Amino acid sequence: MSDHLPVILFLLPFATAICLPMVGARRSAWCRPMALTALLAMCVVAVINVWIVVEHGDTRYAFGGWPISTSLPDHPLGIEWVNDGLASAMLVVLSFLAWLCLFYSGPLTPRSLGAREVLYYALLLLLISGLTGIVLAGDIFNVFVFLEVAALSAYGLVGIPGGRALIVAFRYLILGTLGASFYLLGVVFFYASTGTLNMADLAQQMAAKPELMASKAVIGGTTFMLIGLGIKMALFPLHGWLPGAYTRAPDSISPLLASLMTKVALYGWVRIMFWVLGARAEIGQVHLLTLLSGLGSLAAVAGALLALRQQDVKRMFAYGGISHVGLILIGVSQGNQTGFAGSMFYLINDAVMQAGLFFIAGAAIHQYGARTVEDLSRLRRSPWMIGAIIVLAMSMIGIPPTGGFFGKWYIILGAIEAGNYLAVAAVVVATLLTMAYFQRVFVRIFDDTQESSTTDDADMHPALKLSMGLTAGAVIALGFWSDPIIRFFREVAATAGL
Amino acid sequence: MIEFIEAALQRPNFIAFVVLFLWGLFIMNTHPNLVKKLIGMYIVQTSILLLIVTIGVKQEATVPILQGSDAVLSTADQMSPPNYTNPLPHVLTLTAIVVQVATLGVSLALVTALYRKYGSLDEDEILQKIE
Repeated sequence: MSDHLPVILFLLPFATAICLPMVGARRSAWCRPMALTALLAMCVVAVINVWIVVEHGDTRYAFGGWPISTSLPDHPLGIEWVNDGLASAMLVVLSFLAWLCLFYSGPLTPRSLGAREVLYYALLLLLISGLTGIVLAGDIFNVFVFLEVAALSAYGLVGIPGGRALIVAFRYLILGTLGASFYLLGVVFFYASTGTLNMADLAQQMAAKPELMASKAVIGGTTFMLIGLGIKMALFPLHGWLPGAYTRAPDSISPLLASLMTKVALYGWVRIMFWVLGARAEIGQVHLLTLLSGLGSLAAVAGALLALRQQDVKRMFAYGGISHVGLILIGVSQGNQTGFAGSMFYLINDAVMQAGLFFIAGAAIHQYGARTVEDLSRLRRSPWMIGAIIVLAMSMIGIPPTGGFFGKWYIILGAIEAGNYLAVAAVVVATLLTMAYFQRVFVRIFDDTQESSTTDDADMHPALKLSMGLTAGAVIALGFWSDPIIRFFREVAATAGL
Repeated sequence: MIEFIEAALQRPNFIAFVVLFLWGLFIMNTHPNLVKKLIGMYIVQTSILLLIVTIGVKQEATVPILQGSDAVLSTADQMSPPNYTNPLPHVLTLTAIVVQVATLGVSLALVTALYRKYGSLDEDEILQKIE
């Protein structure tokens, strides 16, 4: 039974998504409890799964029992899912955040849905199963398919409010499909030059034949994959779709998209970079990691600069997310265990922080109608929102004892270890800019001359309070348990050959 | 240079792929009409399918179902692999087509919703009406 845990993890949201329209056709009130139960079960299975991986080591799942052995001269025939330390840790984060986002979204579910609420929950669960598939896939073509499953559900969910959200969803669709096409093109190049799609087999062939890595097909394939996944993870010059989509998406959906979509695409790139190409891969004469470090630094600074200029609160947080994708890339690309472990830890933190910030933004709109930074003064009477935003801002900026501090600390340590002072400077500048845009928020909230709302948050729905409190608590808890988590990711980094 | 042109001319499929891909990319990014953007998107995706099918072609080979003299042989080591093509690229094409059709379906639904609401398919016009 425990061998099948990865597939059970995928099937829980997927099978529920298929069953929901059948059950919901007669009893639409059952949809929400069903979806919540499925995701809660997923959380439990994910925790058992990570425990088994830590105790008994990685497992590889062979679909249909087809051989997946990669010991030469055999080549794998079947489709493989890899359930290793990194994947199992990501799955825990993914399932808990997915459950929390669904739990939070209860009072904010768009009223205009009516009978289509059934399909809304089905799409949401399909999105989560697509993300689970990306995390587990051990085969580059499978990653493409799951990227599209997740993205197609996301396009539908972003377009729900109608009006301006539709045009934003359409732009997201055009750019997202372009990203997927570029990724598929990269897959074709890899397949044409190696004859395999399995990640472990690809890595073996790359290691066995150094001339392969220098061939034009593999260099081209790597570049296309980077562009494709770069669009999906909103890497700075390719981020065009993100701010609009996250701002216009329904308030119940944007926390889920912000915390998971870009992070999982980033995870997909980390998989390909370290488990397929290897840490020493080069594009032409340029070291791939050096290139990524540069791109990450650019994204970290530019994202924070753009966030500083925004008036809309959700849009500001969306740009903050773009900046943080850059920070994670900086840590990953230092080529040492410290940086890798730090940025994987930061990835988890960032997923929680983004979810929490969009919870607050959504609750502020729901409760006080506060959309722009100017309106934020109305939040002053709400202890839950103010408490959560202070803790999350501390983590975004990187003040101990929150998890954001430890993530940034290890990223900086990794960059110093690699002697990459440009990256250190980029992290510091991004931190200062983050502080600057949160300062704008706090000046508005605590400025006495501004009008404040007369009502406090006593009538706020308990789901909103609880989810904001939980994310704020999780960031602090991550800070306190940063040491074992960093050690865990160091071991993961060692398996990636760092 | 001559050799390069010669080599390129011997691979018309690759040239067709490059032309279609860039053409589709151009339409997708520059045309204001939403449906034409989708046509560009479809051309981009189809050009990639053309590339996958192209790399799966093998001359004088047939479908990977044992036939002729191979069919009567029961042991695997006696059949001749050069007679058969690799079926995987075609399977990949099928999967990619399914993804492509699903994407097109979702995008057409979005365009229909936009048209019902704003009565136009022109992106600039829709943006003007929103303002």
